[in-house]
Amino acid sequence: MNIFQSIGDQLIGWLFEVDPATWPYTYLVYALLIALGGGLTFGFVAIFAGPVTWVERRVAGRMMSRIGPNRVGPQGVLQWLCDGLKCWMKEDLVPACADRPLFRFAPYLVFGGMFGTFAVLPFGANIVATELNVGILYLLAVTGFVVIGMLMAGWGSNSKWAMFGGIRSAAQLVSYEIPVAFALMTVVLVAGSMSLQELVLGQGGMPWEWFVFRNPFLFAAFFLFFTAAIAEGNRTPFDLPEAESELVAGYNVEYSGMRYLFFMFAEWANLWVMSAIATVAFLGGWQIPGVSPEVIAASEGWTFVGWQALSVAIFVAKASVLVFFVIQLRWTLPRLRIDQLMVTCWKYLVPLSLACILGVLVLMLLIPEGSLVDMLLRVVMLAVGLAIAITYLRKVRATYLATRETYRNMEGKDQWYPAYRLP
Amino acid sequence: MEFRDIQERVHTGLGGSFEVQDEIHDPAIIVPKEQLRAVCGFLRDDESLRMGTLRIITGIDRPAKKDSTESGSIEVVYHLCSYVHGHTVVIKTLLDREAPKVDSVQDIWPTANWHERETYDLLGVEFEGHPDLRRIMLPKDWVGHPLRKDYEPPKEYHGIPTTREAVLQAPRVEKVSPAQHEPKSDEPPERFIQLNMGPHHPATHGVLNFLLETDGEILRRVKPDVGYLHRGMEKLAERISYPGTMPFTDRIDYLGAMFTNHGWAMACEKLFGVEVPRRADFCRVIASELNRLASHLIATGCLPMEVGAFTPFIHWLREREIINDIMEMICGARLTYNYMRIGGVSRDIDQATIDKILGWLDNFEPTIDEFNRLISGNEIFVKRLANMAVIPAEVAVGYSLLGPNLRASGVDWDVRKNEPYSVYGELEFDVVTGQGWRGSIGDSYDRYFCRILEMKESVKIIRQACDLMPEGPIIAPKVPKKPAANEVYARTEGPRGEAGFYVVSDGSDKPYRARYRMGSFTAMSVIEAVTPGLMLADLVALIGSLDTIAPEVDR
Repeated sequence: MNIFQSIGDQLIGWLFEVDPATWPYTYLVYALLIALGGGLTFGFVAIFAGPVTWVERRVAGRMMSRIGPNRVGPQGVLQWLCDGLKCWMKEDLVPACADRPLFRFAPYLVFGGMFGTFAVLPFGANIVATELNVGILYLLAVTGFVVIGMLMAGWGSNSKWAMFGGIRSAAQLVSYEIPVAFALMTVVLVAGSMSLQELVLGQGGMPWEWFVFRNPFLFAAFFLFFTAAIAEGNRTPFDLPEAESELVAGYNVEYSGMRYLFFMFAEWANLWVMSAIATVAFLGGWQIPGVSPEVIAASEGWTFVGWQALSVAIFVAKASVLVFFVIQLRWTLPRLRIDQLMVTCWKYLVPLSLACILGVLVLMLLIPEGSLVDMLLRVVMLAVGLAIAITYLRKVRATYLATRETYRNMEGKDQWYPAYRLP
Repeated sequence: MEFRDIQERVHTGLGGSFEVQDEIHDPAIIVPKEQLRAVCGFLRDDESLRMGTLRIITGIDRPAKKDSTESGSIEVVYHLCSYVHGHTVVIKTLLDREAPKVDSVQDIWPTANWHERETYDLLGVEFEGHPDLRRIMLPKDWVGHPLRKDYEPPKEYHGIPTTREAVLQAPRVEKVSPAQHEPKSDEPPERFIQLNMGPHHPATHGVLNFLLETDGEILRRVKPDVGYLHRGMEKLAERISYPGTMPFTDRIDYLGAMFTNHGWAMACEKLFGVEVPRRADFCRVIASELNRLASHLIATGCLPMEVGAFTPFIHWLREREIINDIMEMICGARLTYNYMRIGGVSRDIDQATIDKILGWLDNFEPTIDEFNRLISGNEIFVKRLANMAVIPAEVAVGYSLLGPNLRASGVDWDVRKNEPYSVYGELEFDVVTGQGWRGSIGDSYDRYFCRILEMKESVKIIRQACDLMPEGPIIAPKVPKKPAANEVYARTEGPRGEAGFYVVSDGSDKPYRARYRMGSFTAMSVIEAVTPGLMLADLVALIGSLDTIAPEVDR
């Protein structure tokens, strides 16, 4: 029984005072609710992908010591609406001699592949569209649409540059599916289930209960997954299919207007998807620290709603940190060459992820859960994780202080914005 | 070796006696065209001469006087240089104007390939034995050779009017319906992809086309197709007076306008015999080195951008913005400076400007280290550039690469050091040569890192020049209107290598022939030689590491 069915049953019972099991229009209500859920999810993607473009541009501006968009709305927060409107009003150009059906359909396939993953993402304790018991498998399968879409766009454009981008994306995405899948297999082994909700339930709210800090192999698998996921999402340093300095824009070079926007939509939605999957699989998902799922299940009324909201907030916060980190990576690193990209995948990521699976299996056999060694291992891994986080924060702080010092030297006054705010 | 010794050596080595034109500033050996190849081969291979580099080939049209019965002649001038011995020589050959034909020397110096094509294009000199004698600047179906003195530009080209009057009177072109591109299905499929990179491509740094033949991602052949920005700078100089050409030299190389200014000013000063006041020389050096910093900032900022990292570029643009402000204080312009005059500079550098320069340098120097931390040491960046497109020293010399590109290949040659001009002889700085920092000597990373280190040297030079600058006038009191008939060659060390200016005067107030020799032209010609086997992404990085800009190639 999924969330739509349970809500639908309660709704029918409350509105029409009939038994949903025997009432003939039950499935109509279910369908309406599912459509509503789809709309809400689409709304979430739009609401997320839009402002995140603004955040990305402001963060990039800060990193590049320039300002970025700050004209539309306070601090430029409404910039994405203007961009969307602009793209919407542009002419939908199809190049002469393009393969029109392929060309027109490709953006929807790319977007559909990305959007399909939202069906199984657990946003909160009970907020998930479908609890598929093969969630991970579905996830890996549905993102395959993206490859087909990009290949269609590259081929259908009738442009050699676009075709280069399409072929590159096919080679890259198909290769990087393998380390992604292998890295996810490690947590599947530990949790004993392929359902994403089960993965979350296998962890706890506290950091030492997360999969990432359970043992060194899972810790490594997290980084392998994250690297491979960035490559699957075509983000720098793996953004070869749309390398703007080599291929101009890659597979989407001939697109304009709304169709172009759909590609961009898919790119930023994917930013969310990969961060969300990493959160679910390794970082404890929506688990609230100190509150066990049983407490949430037992609660009723507004308490129940409160717990749900809190779990969603925790999930979004964790994923957003990862999103922010990916944005930072993009504006720091250069791009790999195609042969180096393949070497990274097949010579390093694939063998390492296999080794991780093996290591996790061995440790599962040797160390029973809850034993003293297990606890010790978790503490050590948590310490390592904390050390990495603290180093990162210290570097950010040092850079900020240096910039402030330079600004003071050059201009003779302090920067007018505090550290936590964008210029 | 002095000119007399070189002449002696050629005479004894080849057992002949050549005419010598020694009334001009740089004396020339006049070689009959039948013996040209023998002389060139001897000059290159003789141990005591070792003229490994052909700097430039110039054609000069000398039509007959009106009342004369002779047919006139075309001079082809070869400026040669030896990096081993540090001497130069000029050889000339005289051709019949009606059917100018001469043997090609492109197998002796590979760089002659493009220079001969340009001479063929603009003067109609046929080089026999040249493998690929096509027009280089003008379209292949252009009529006439523009640098001939009796050249009449065609009134129209493919139905497009070219004269000002015709353009104003021409009827508006109605909207043309696009041609239908039907894919040809009966052709056999191509094994290799033919690709046009440019003229509109973000990585080509200006309007310029590369014809690529690729096997998947791997390049098989790259043919640069230049000439989209050919503005006829050399022809323009023949129509405009000596001081009037100064602002045009800005547009030859808009990123290093100070050096083209300086080169033109030095050539004219040699012609006019003008002494530059000492303060003006210091002003020139300060402005030039600031300009070198600005140009290297663009070069080293663009390369990470070609490789995919956008952030470093913006950081360097921020620094360059301050240089632009300083330049505005110095000469009133931010990009095309027109700062120098024949015999001096247009404005003095006052104390406020010097304070601003020194203050900025104090902040800029640590920024170089910060930049290195950000990108130069980045593992991906190093992996992309190290051992990529290695240009060995002999190829670099043969193709006459200049400036940082030459030095990255390990050739210790800097005009500022080896043939000091202006006040560079008094200033202390090091010449940076490629060390194979992350790979082998002469790879793309060396070319990049040479520029980074050169910026530090420029900072040193500016500090010293600001320190040593004396008081005094900034421009020579009197500059004559007309020079004597003479030929001079002046060179400055620009950010993209030696900017050479060869000026021929006939005694009037306009140059008889002006020839500009720019670093990007030869850097572009070497691309064809080093690219086979590289990948598509490497080509973009290679163009970035050679730091070519299109207006300098085409002039």
